Amino acid sequence: MTTMRRRAVPYLLISPTVALIAVFLVYPIASVAYYSLQHRNLTRPWADGFAGLGNFRQMLFEDEVFWHSLGFTAKWVVAEIGLQLILGLALALIVNESFIGRGLARSLVFSPWAVSGVLTTGIWILLYTPSTGVLRFLGQPEAAVLGNPDTVFPAVVVTELWRGVPFFAILLLAGLQGIPGELYEAAAVDGAGRIRRFLHVTLPHLRDAIVLATLLRGVWEFNNVDLLFTLTGGGPAQVTTTLPLYVAQRAVDSKDFGYGSALTMAGFVILLFCSLLYLRLSRFGEER
Amino acid sequence: MSADVMIRPGTRAVPAGTRRRRRRDPGRVLRLYVPLGMYLVFTLVPFYWMLVFALRPAGSTDPVPWPITFEHFETVWNDIGYAVFFKNSVIVGVWSLLVTTVIAVMGGYALSRYRFRGRGLFMVVLLCTQFIPGAMMLIPLFSIFKSLGLINSLASLIVADTVFNLPLSIILMSGFVSAVPFTVEEAAMVDGCSRLRGFLAIVLPQLRPGLIAVGSFAFIHTWNNFLFALMFVSKQDSFTIPVGLSYTIGEYSADFGALAAGGVVAALPVVCVFAVVQRYLVHGISAGAVKG
Amino acid sequence: MKMKVAWAALAVLAVTATGCGSDSGSGEGSGKTTITFWDNNGGARTPIYQELIKRFEAANPSIHVEYVGIPIASVQQKYDTAIAGGDTPDVGGVTTSYLANLTGQQALEPADEWLTTSAVNGKLAAPMLDSVRKTVPDGKLYLVPGTSNMDVVWYLKDKLQQAPGTWDEFFADADKLTKKPDAYGYTIRGGAGSIFQILAEMYSYSGVSEFFDASGKSTVNDPKNVEFLTKMAGLYKKDTPEADVTNDFPKMVAAFGTGKIAMMHHNLGSYNDHVKAHGKDKIGAFALPTGPGGRRTVVANPVDGFAVFKGSEHKDAAWKFVEFLVSHEGNSYWNQQTGQIPANTEAQGDSWLQGLEHLKTAVDTLNDPNTQVVSPPYYLPQFSSITKADTEPLFQKVLLGQMQPQEFLDTLAQKLTDAQAEWKKATGG
Repeated sequence: MTTMRRRAVPYLLISPTVALIAVFLVYPIASVAYYSLQHRNLTRPWADGFAGLGNFRQMLFEDEVFWHSLGFTAKWVVAEIGLQLILGLALALIVNESFIGRGLARSLVFSPWAVSGVLTTGIWILLYTPSTGVLRFLGQPEAAVLGNPDTVFPAVVVTELWRGVPFFAILLLAGLQGIPGELYEAAAVDGAGRIRRFLHVTLPHLRDAIVLATLLRGVWEFNNVDLLFTLTGGGPAQVTTTLPLYVAQRAVDSKDFGYGSALTMAGFVILLFCSLLYLRLSRFGEER
Repeated sequence: MSADVMIRPGTRAVPAGTRRRRRRDPGRVLRLYVPLGMYLVFTLVPFYWMLVFALRPAGSTDPVPWPITFEHFETVWNDIGYAVFFKNSVIVGVWSLLVTTVIAVMGGYALSRYRFRGRGLFMVVLLCTQFIPGAMMLIPLFSIFKSLGLINSLASLIVADTVFNLPLSIILMSGFVSAVPFTVEEAAMVDGCSRLRGFLAIVLPQLRPGLIAVGSFAFIHTWNNFLFALMFVSKQDSFTIPVGLSYTIGEYSADFGALAAGGVVAALPVVCVFAVVQRYLVHGISAGAVKG
Repeated sequence: MKMKVAWAALAVLAVTATGCGSDSGSGEGSGKTTITFWDNNGGARTPIYQELIKRFEAANPSIHVEYVGIPIASVQQKYDTAIAGGDTPDVGGVTTSYLANLTGQQALEPADEWLTTSAVNGKLAAPMLDSVRKTVPDGKLYLVPGTSNMDVVWYLKDKLQQAPGTWDEFFADADKLTKKPDAYGYTIRGGAGSIFQILAEMYSYSGVSEFFDASGKSTVNDPKNVEFLTKMAGLYKKDTPEADVTNDFPKMVAAFGTGKIAMMHHNLGSYNDHVKAHGKDKIGAFALPTGPGGRRTVVANPVDGFAVFKGSEHKDAAWKFVEFLVSHEGNSYWNQQTGQIPANTEAQGDSWLQGLEHLKTAVDTLNDPNTQVVSPPYYLPQFSSITKADTEPLFQKVLLGQMQPQEFLDTLAQKLTDAQAEWKKATGG
């Protein structure tokens, strides 16, 4: 009896989640999979019908933008996650120290994270656009960083860092609280310097938090449409088009829902593969 | 690691080096204040620019908002209807925060503490829900909400945002639960506590930083969600702030002053609340460390 | 323990707020008919409709109009979602640029029958009615026109004394007025919305009279059009700011608002933005310059108006509201506020219209028998996606020098030709 009950506990605990996912997410996800095999285009209703693998064939063999967007997505995710992790970790370590004004500093450096994607782009467009921006005060009245294919990538990366670094910093700061102070003291007694304490105490303890944060944030950045959509619209000339942004252009703007679904499924498979691989390689959750 | 470490949570947060108060240490200035100062500039310049646009008269191009005007705030609050949007955003955000956090603690605890059948699958399913952009699921979601009679109400937004926040929140929460050693709970149970009481009395307080982090993620995602807010609601007095923001910029309207003022209204309360809450992200403030 | 208090306070706040938020805004049950109206450009135009609804409700006490403002950038997605989910409004603002999409989804109610018995019958501008009917295969009136627009070049009077009459003069002026980085002669729209504007410029330069030739081939890549685009792309960074490549409406208006730019091509609808930035007296407008032989060619702008949705349960009330919106009073008020061309012919004769120089220019141009009007194929359901998502990035490539004007226009022409052929086959036309 008690073992039965004990076995049921985890299932009871996850039951609300399972119920919500079953009711609200299974059907929508299945419908995307279904439409990826269909021609479904609001602008060509006469051509709707079963497509088989036609959408995928078009995507893989005829669509240059797909391949280009895939490459850019990889570049985008790697750059964002790498920089957000490094800066976020540094920031977490700094504001975890005690110093005068720490509370204020912490509030301020975390604050961009409370700003929505649309608003973030709104502010940064004002900053970047020559006629409204700050560059003219730096002696660059003509610099159009968003219009120049050479500068647009750093410009969008910096914008997303502004909002994204606090996410990492918050998570890692919360993670730092789980490290017993005694470990540092023991390490200090052993004569370990600051860097060795970081490498041998802090980092190993943060490993799971880092793996989780990079994974979730990686998925999130992969699918992050709102920022790029309003900041550059994927331009100029599609140099900043990620796969999900391309999905939005096909499925929402061009109303080609079938093809958009096929592109979405491609993203789904890629993310699933990469996530499982990442969890395996990072040995997440082992030897606790 | 012994259980007695855990009984004094206040001591855990503070790395050894900081106990020695070496304020004059030049290394400390280089290590802390210089990078922090640089980062603060990066953080604050965009905010300052938003304030400049929000506070200076339309047509001005000065880098200093002088003379200050509140006309843009009057526009967004009264003409565009931010007063109502703001209230709706608070309702949706707070409800979603509460529901998400409670369910996420349950799920996160299960994932972290039990090795049950289907656990791996559950993890993967949670991840999979994050792989598809919301825009692609809009129409089927709309149909589901409609058949449940939830369309056109703030409830639809609360439910939708909770559903989309949950997977991420559970996974994060499981990480935080794992960081609390099981030995502590065991000790409590040995003392005769039920598992639930042990959890509430011992684990939950330790989870505080995690609760703050996860709860605020849930709140902010909801607070900022534009797509659902516009698509599931077709009632002017049920819209939220992101919809209001989208009014100010578009074809035939380029009111940057209103955009910035709306942005201040959208961001300021969250920044302020978070400024209060962030102190709980760190253990041990009350246990003698320097107050910030 | 402070935390507990904070949580409790939050919870109380949420509960109480829900309590007072859930029951507001229902006009039903009191013998009133409530109809929903979706404004397809919510925001700047919200106060105009609020005023009109107030007047309408005063005249029709049994009808309550619930206003919903949809941001213009998301309006098509909102309609598509609502139609798929079966939750459409009674009346919606619709333009001919996406009318074909809505009728393709069988969402709208034709207005022909209603119009014959309506008080506004015979008072709506014939060209606009015609333009709406041409947008759909069955030739019915699925949209009651409320306003139209015309492309104009806005300019700062203190920089440019004499408006250029021909494109050659225009290019000369643009060059003459440029003193980088403090002054630019012109600004190109390179971001969202670029294609329509470049089409309007090309056809006014080339004077080509139809979008498709007799065999159904698009005329977009006519040699004269290519010639024009080559000249215009040559202005980029020479006489225009580098940022132009990402210019969408707000950025373009902001750039023009700084006073550094002498001329900017948009339409009548941005009048209020320019007045706000520069004041009424400094702003001038001229119609796009003339083409060969001094002939003026105008690419017809979309017609914006009101549609009643099939799903409406209160169609009588819905038509009544539409009738008010396009009546002399309603239509005049709306267009006076926005500075656009009224569809109601009585409103066209109002004195305020004569007092607005730019609007008078536009109406005179359109009414001039020598003006040649080219109608873009709004009836192609793909027209909007071809001229936006498909080709806007390519236009940016042209500006950046990564694509030749010829290749760009060939691509655009091919897409239009294909879409036209497919549409003809599908509609049997």
